Amino acid sequence: MEMRSFSDYLRSIDDAAFLKLFASRPDLVIPVPPDIASLAVRACSAPSLARAIDSLNHWQFQVLEACVSLSEPFLLKNLTAITDRAAAKALDHLISIGLVYPSDDGMRLPSQLRDVIGNEPAGLGPASMVKLKLSEIDDAPQDAKKVLERLVWGPPRGSVGDIKNPGPGVAWLLEKKFLVPLDQRTVILPREVGIYLRGGKIHKQSFVEPPTLTGNKRDERQVNLAAIANISTVLRWVEELLNFWADEPADALRAGGLGVRDLKIISTHLGVDESCTAFIAELAYLSSLISIDADDRIMPSNKFDIWLLQSPAQRWQTLASQWLITSRVSGLVGRLESKNVAALGPELDRVNAAKVRAMTLSILNDNVGIAPDLTSFNALLAWRTPVRRNSSLQEELAAWTLREAEWLGITGQGAISSYGIEFLSGNDLNVINDDLPKTVDHILIQSDNTAIAPGPLEHEISQQLAMMAEIESRGGATVYRFSESTIRRALDHGKTGEEIKNFLAKTSKTPMPQPLEYLISDVSKKHGKLRVGNTSAFIRCEDTSLIAQIMNDKRLDGLALRRIAPEVVICDLDASDTMRILREAGYLPAGESATGIMLMGPRANRAQSKPRPPRVIGEVEIPSEDNLNAAIRALRTGEKSTHKQTHLRQIANEALGALPRTTANETMDLINRFIVQEKSLSIGYADNNGSVTHRIIDPIRVSAGALIARDHATGEVQSFRIPRITGVAPL
Amino acid sequence: MTDGPLIVQSDKTLLLDIDHPLSTECRRAIAPFAELERSPEHIHTYRLTPLGLWNARAAGHDAEQVIDTLIKYSRYAVPHSILIDVAETMSRYGRLRLEADPVHGLILVTTDSAVLEEVIRAKKIQPLLGARIDKETIAVLPSQRGQIKQSLLRLGWPAEDFAGYVDGQAHEIALKENGWKIRPYQELAAEGFWHGGSGVVVLPCGAGKTIVGAAAMAHAKATTLILVTNTVAARQWREELLKRTTLNEDEIGEYSGAKKEIRPVTIATYQVMTKKKNGVYAHLDLFDSYDWGLIIYDEVHLLPAPIFRFTADIQSRRRLGLTATLVREDGMEGEVFSLIGPKRFDVPWKEIESQGYIAPAECIEVRVNLTETERLTYATAEVENRYRYCATTRTKRDVVEALVKKHQGEQILVIGQYIDQLDELSEVLGVPVIKGETPVKEREILFNKFRTGELTTLVVSKVANFSVDLPDATIAIQVSGAFGSRQEEAQRLGRILRPKSDGRGATFYSVISRDTIDQDFAQNRQRFLAEQGYSYKIIDADDVFQGKI
Repeated sequence: MEMRSFSDYLRSIDDAAFLKLFASRPDLVIPVPPDIASLAVRACSAPSLARAIDSLNHWQFQVLEACVSLSEPFLLKNLTAITDRAAAKALDHLISIGLVYPSDDGMRLPSQLRDVIGNEPAGLGPASMVKLKLSEIDDAPQDAKKVLERLVWGPPRGSVGDIKNPGPGVAWLLEKKFLVPLDQRTVILPREVGIYLRGGKIHKQSFVEPPTLTGNKRDERQVNLAAIANISTVLRWVEELLNFWADEPADALRAGGLGVRDLKIISTHLGVDESCTAFIAELAYLSSLISIDADDRIMPSNKFDIWLLQSPAQRWQTLASQWLITSRVSGLVGRLESKNVAALGPELDRVNAAKVRAMTLSILNDNVGIAPDLTSFNALLAWRTPVRRNSSLQEELAAWTLREAEWLGITGQGAISSYGIEFLSGNDLNVINDDLPKTVDHILIQSDNTAIAPGPLEHEISQQLAMMAEIESRGGATVYRFSESTIRRALDHGKTGEEIKNFLAKTSKTPMPQPLEYLISDVSKKHGKLRVGNTSAFIRCEDTSLIAQIMNDKRLDGLALRRIAPEVVICDLDASDTMRILREAGYLPAGESATGIMLMGPRANRAQSKPRPPRVIGEVEIPSEDNLNAAIRALRTGEKSTHKQTHLRQIANEALGALPRTTANETMDLINRFIVQEKSLSIGYADNNGSVTHRIIDPIRVSAGALIARDHATGEVQSFRIPRITGVAPL
Repeated sequence: MTDGPLIVQSDKTLLLDIDHPLSTECRRAIAPFAELERSPEHIHTYRLTPLGLWNARAAGHDAEQVIDTLIKYSRYAVPHSILIDVAETMSRYGRLRLEADPVHGLILVTTDSAVLEEVIRAKKIQPLLGARIDKETIAVLPSQRGQIKQSLLRLGWPAEDFAGYVDGQAHEIALKENGWKIRPYQELAAEGFWHGGSGVVVLPCGAGKTIVGAAAMAHAKATTLILVTNTVAARQWREELLKRTTLNEDEIGEYSGAKKEIRPVTIATYQVMTKKKNGVYAHLDLFDSYDWGLIIYDEVHLLPAPIFRFTADIQSRRRLGLTATLVREDGMEGEVFSLIGPKRFDVPWKEIESQGYIAPAECIEVRVNLTETERLTYATAEVENRYRYCATTRTKRDVVEALVKKHQGEQILVIGQYIDQLDELSEVLGVPVIKGETPVKEREILFNKFRTGELTTLVVSKVANFSVDLPDATIAIQVSGAFGSRQEEAQRLGRILRPKSDGRGATFYSVISRDTIDQDFAQNRQRFLAEQGYSYKIIDADDVFQGKI
């Protein structure tokens, strides 16, 4: 059977080859295509090809460029001739992922591949139409050589003043067909000439091997020590952040996310910079440890409580695994040059984030014991992904990944740690539990009203202490400071002075200094001396027996009276209701003003709230004459301008001939029909400013959302973006 | 994880567990680059500051040494960010150098022209510079040497000063160790200062700062200007120098309100230096009247502002600042460091105490209850009068009386802020009072009587806060103070810290009115001493009356 097309090739390969193809291009099987033909169509579609090309490294891409610059079908030896002997292996790879396929008479490329790569692969122009005597180039005059030098490494196009009146160098080249005129002002260097001038190769340099990663050598033990410190720190950060928000929930911005002010507050609280704060907040958000509730408050979720109960290794894994796969990029928060992007907000997603992150980590993983130097790291990254679309952020993403990996403890001192390696290979992480510093269950209280926990405190103790003291310094140890306000806070939380003292005495390894003991007693003695509550009315009476009487009066139960002093009773109803009920029960109350003066005379009852009369529905109110006049004026002006515009449009149409108008579906349909019939069309085409011009074109084909057609006005082949075509009509 | 004595916190504080066997060794290792912040009983707090790290660089330590030290003694892994920060901070030092050039005078030279470009564009620096000499060199106005160093420090590019110090006019001075010996820490302090060039030495009150000054003079062997707080202190310096050094009476001059002598060693008071005549400082010429080789600032925490400014202009002379308490409620500590020089020596009070060079002291806060009427008056008093009212209550008088009675036979100082209160106490106790209006002569007579034991009790105002040497005082009773001033409290304790001939300890009473702002201020006042490891004991006034203590 003759094998020419890509689908023929696909029909011929075995399961193993399919497996390889699908593994590297999963988009081909999601969803599973119905047959080989549709698989071939999908594999040859521009988006799929672009994605496959994205996965190539620099060398593979160079080989692909070389393939594109050869005419089909070509043989391996043609390829190696213009590249390097190592191209064979790269070609195998290209075949395995379906970017090149073998046919009976040599290698071929999927039909749309050239479009995806672009017209000028490796800066080479189109193939020459005529046979060239390339050896004559060596004898080219000096002027011509200069021109060639300019064009040889691409872009192959050069502009001349006027093609009819070129300089001597260009004239010689045009004559020899070593340059081809493209239009009035442009000349192009044919591919053969380019390759000849490049010494028979396509590229200046073949990047067969990846650049070596340079950086500082790190000792494994030190790396792991640093990493474990980072791990314990990041766990502490997350816990502290969430505890902070539990006490003082932040308000999400209306546009979503965390405001700059709130970010600053946490940043100060945690003692880290704002980018790190954003990272921690995002980490908690990704791991569902916080939720943004209906009234836009950011608070810890109940998953946080579960998380707290887990072992450190589990806790860390929860954070790290979410970070690994997220498309959100906390590094974007607070960048100087861009507009402000909020942490936890909706604008942090970047498509290539997870990919770059994975690649960054895999580079680290391949270079154990090296803390990479950023320049060399970027060089390697660029080798691995030479043609990433929207790659503008790539270097920053990689830098952020390195920074975040350090914060997380995947790296220590910049080199990948054993925990990071285990984590990336999906292994058990229990070793973290063993390596983290052991928790301590005691503190040391000193006479300057500070307490020091000489290591990570047990959870329960640290929670209690955080309530009764301010944290002054964090790290391996924690320094707490007691003050009047912190003791008050503990009392507000329902602790008694005795409880605080007992807790401290029990937890402290050192005797409690007397001043602290006095401080606690002093504050607890004063605490709650003043009581504050809500009430709406009070009843005052100097006769305590009358007070006793109303307290015991069953008819007044509805007032829910509470005696707060021998002569004062409060109730929940407002003053007028209270008076009414008292009167009904036969008492003789009088009102009292805010200054304590008795209110005399019958007071007319008035509502307390502002009046809001009901809206009138149905009958329309008759507007005032002024309003009516204004409306009429507006109408007249509008009418005049509409009339004028219609008139103008008519004049324009008459001048140009009517612009065709069709709907989007009609447009596609007509275009497809007339491509087949190869007829000229009249179209309306909108430019960047939205103004529509009339064009007469010969449609050629539809490619990537654009109509390729020859424009009668310029005589050039041009692409028209289909959404901008306002209408099509046959001529 | 090791089991070291040091915990490096992520906020750049270092916690040193002093009960750890390696703590002394570790303390010595980190002292060159970390600043001691607090030294209470169990855990001392040091801090890594850019200034401290640059000083360490100046003293010849490099970043690697610092990092090694941190890692070696650290109990937990040292946060990587701190190691990076240390390396980065230290690498900033020395990119700029101040040098003396035979042609251009004082010049600023760089090894990194980008840094020079950055700093010469700074607004604060521009007016201090002269002509650009080449890409890496620029002239500096010689009079602005101090100013430019200070400004560069603030920009984060400290300049290494190679321009050296003027030697001043030579004058033979040596220590005269007849019957006494300089203590090891005094010698260390003097040497630390000498090698550093200029700087501040922090030593507890009563630990013999004068000797450090004398030792520094013996190093300099040059004419010396000594600035002290008041005339009494000036005379004490004079006597001490006569006793401890080879200087004779004719070589030491006093420049004060009373006398204006200028001698090879001149002792001047801050007061006379800052005295204005017709709106100008009349006596600042003193700085130029001799080619001083050394300027000593006693009680440098009191350095008045005009002298601040002047000091900036005499950067080419060696300067030594002496203090016990470098805390200023006005937050000007940094100013002192940048003008006099960085801290060259600091040692926890308790360490000196344990070596027996200062007397062990017990601090007791006596709380008195206000009577019902007093409470009411206090509650309704104007806010600005409240402290005065509660600090001078009648009840305090009874407590003081009881305390004086209890310590009969010992040397007692009663210290207070308000003159009325002091006058009243003096009357009740039947002892003389020394206050601002007491003439210097009378003060000296009274202090002398107190020293000889002729007088056992003295009531003093804040004039005796500093520099008054009363070796045998063992009891101090503080009845009121300058609000929440931490250093005042420490200085007052300092009055009784001289080691006693019989090795007795000292007791410091602070009488406080309960539940008033007096108590709140007391808490702030005590902070410095608490951070030095002095634990206050709180007792009730009734315990004093009943003799329970």
